Amino acid sequence: MMRICPIGHHPSVLIAAGIMAIGGLASTRQPGLAATVELISSAGPAGQGAAAATPDQGPALSTAGAKPGSKPAAPTAAPPLPAHLEPLALHDYTGILGKKIVGPDGKELGLVVDVLVDAQGHPRAAVIDFGGFLGVGSRKIAIDWRLLKLTPGQPDWKISLNLDRAEIQAAPEYKPDEASAKIVGPAPKASPLPAKDK
Amino acid sequence: MGAAAKQGKKRPAPSAERSLDWLNLFVGNIQTGFGPFIAVYLTTRGWTETSIGLALSLGTVAAMASQIPAGALVDAIRHKAWVVILSILAFSISALLFAIQPAPLAVYVAEILHSFSSCTLSPAIAAISLAVAGPAVLGLRFGRNARFAAIGNGVGAVMMGACGYYVSAQSVFFLTAALSLPALVPLSTLVRVDHTGVQAAGNGTVRTKHERPTQVLTDRRLLTFACSAMLFTLGNAAMLPLIGNTLTKTVGAAADLVIAACIVLPQLIVALLSPAVGRMAETKGRRVILLSGLISLPIRGVVFALLPSPVPIVLVQALDGLAGACLGVLVPLITSDIAGRSGHYNLALGFVGFAVGIGATLSTALAGWIGDRHGQPLAFVTLAACGLAACVLVLSALPETKPA
Repeated sequence: MMRICPIGHHPSVLIAAGIMAIGGLASTRQPGLAATVELISSAGPAGQGAAAATPDQGPALSTAGAKPGSKPAAPTAAPPLPAHLEPLALHDYTGILGKKIVGPDGKELGLVVDVLVDAQGHPRAAVIDFGGFLGVGSRKIAIDWRLLKLTPGQPDWKISLNLDRAEIQAAPEYKPDEASAKIVGPAPKASPLPAKDK
Repeated sequence: MGAAAKQGKKRPAPSAERSLDWLNLFVGNIQTGFGPFIAVYLTTRGWTETSIGLALSLGTVAAMASQIPAGALVDAIRHKAWVVILSILAFSISALLFAIQPAPLAVYVAEILHSFSSCTLSPAIAAISLAVAGPAVLGLRFGRNARFAAIGNGVGAVMMGACGYYVSAQSVFFLTAALSLPALVPLSTLVRVDHTGVQAAGNGTVRTKHERPTQVLTDRRLLTFACSAMLFTLGNAAMLPLIGNTLTKTVGAAADLVIAACIVLPQLIVALLSPAVGRMAETKGRRVILLSGLISLPIRGVVFALLPSPVPIVLVQALDGLAGACLGVLVPLITSDIAGRSGHYNLALGFVGFAVGIGATLSTALAGWIGDRHGQPLAFVTLAACGLAACVLVLSALPETKPA
């Protein structure tokens, strides 16, 4: 399950239903599977509940992935499909958990291990696991969502970040249980990057 | 020397000695293995931190729970070489499970398999060493074991690291599975040696005494030794992660390189020193060697607390290699002094392993807790104090165990 994000306010929603469903779906990544996937589109509590009820691991979802929200298919008498299904075209979405983030030089900076969302479910920051050698000395850093640049591609989207290693190295470590988390935001002098989530 | 000559009749065949060298090297190879890559690999497969933490904790709990039963099991099985073969196969099956099907159930099974086979593997290798070398030159044998295991560890870490960096995290697991195959080759010799070793022990003068298991486990020397090994690990296990933490804050971009040096250098020292440590344990006795290994921990802790910069850190990390060599040789050796002919050698080894496991598990929690509240220097000092306590315990309560 997503961690409750401790940025500033007190969120009640854990994660946007869309990100959950998309995260699971994209992990199938089998081109031959289907050109579109269907999202449960009722935006109300039912939709979120369904997404939140799905297991949080990619592998587990990949079997049930074609129909998010439905239980892993029972052999006989499959339950009826949810009433509102919205098609989502392949290449229109990507999973983000566990994806590589590359720096300006194209080198890997780290893996996305968590997404922090606000009370509306909008992503605020990506938590990346950065650095270290054989698991020693790696640390987590929260990066403002708007600093991530997503480039659709096949088979994976490229997720890049316009910060170099030194800048990330200087960033404070993200600790989920602290009273307030510090996230690396856009540089104050530069005009903020076009917001993706508003 | 005289003792070795006395053994002339069943002098360990050089081929068996060499097979043991290779076995330790290949097992060291796979044992560094995929551990550090599990978290990264599962992350790339969309696992969340919580589920990864759960899987890793399951592995820790399984390892703790199986130490002592695994030791008893190895005692009960006459042909230790087969235990090693099965353990290695279990290792590679576990690696393949991770690689092929990282679904929750498979990962849990792989974790448990991995934990249990680690618990049977090392005692069985120690038992074969005892059979091959005989008690008189056992220190030298364990010195060689530790040297080749360290070389295997180092080579394994380099190969897996390169594979993880240039290919993928998944490839590390396939590599581990593949590397377990050469480990089976030296066992073709050891299967025979083990057998004759058992026969020689049976009709020789050194007969197994067959004590009760409780008698062995309540031996005051074993309890004291296990307790000091636990205290040492309590201070030692969190040292490296804490150094890593300090370095990422102070060093900047070169931190990863310095951390790599902190990991590789001690392995080199272990490979260099272990045979000498084994020899000196036979000539100068176990206590003095054990103490010189243990005392290195408080020294490291204090230096890290006072001088948290790369050059002193890397230099003092060499002491970790000294401690690694001493403990690597002395854990099987002292245990063999105490329980080697009781018929419960592996049970006793499992008991010491269990104590070490407790220390390792609590260590990171202890260091993290103190580091968060009172800062890193105090965390280092606390770890140093654990090492000092281990020294004091050995000084005051552990007699020399080397047979006269």
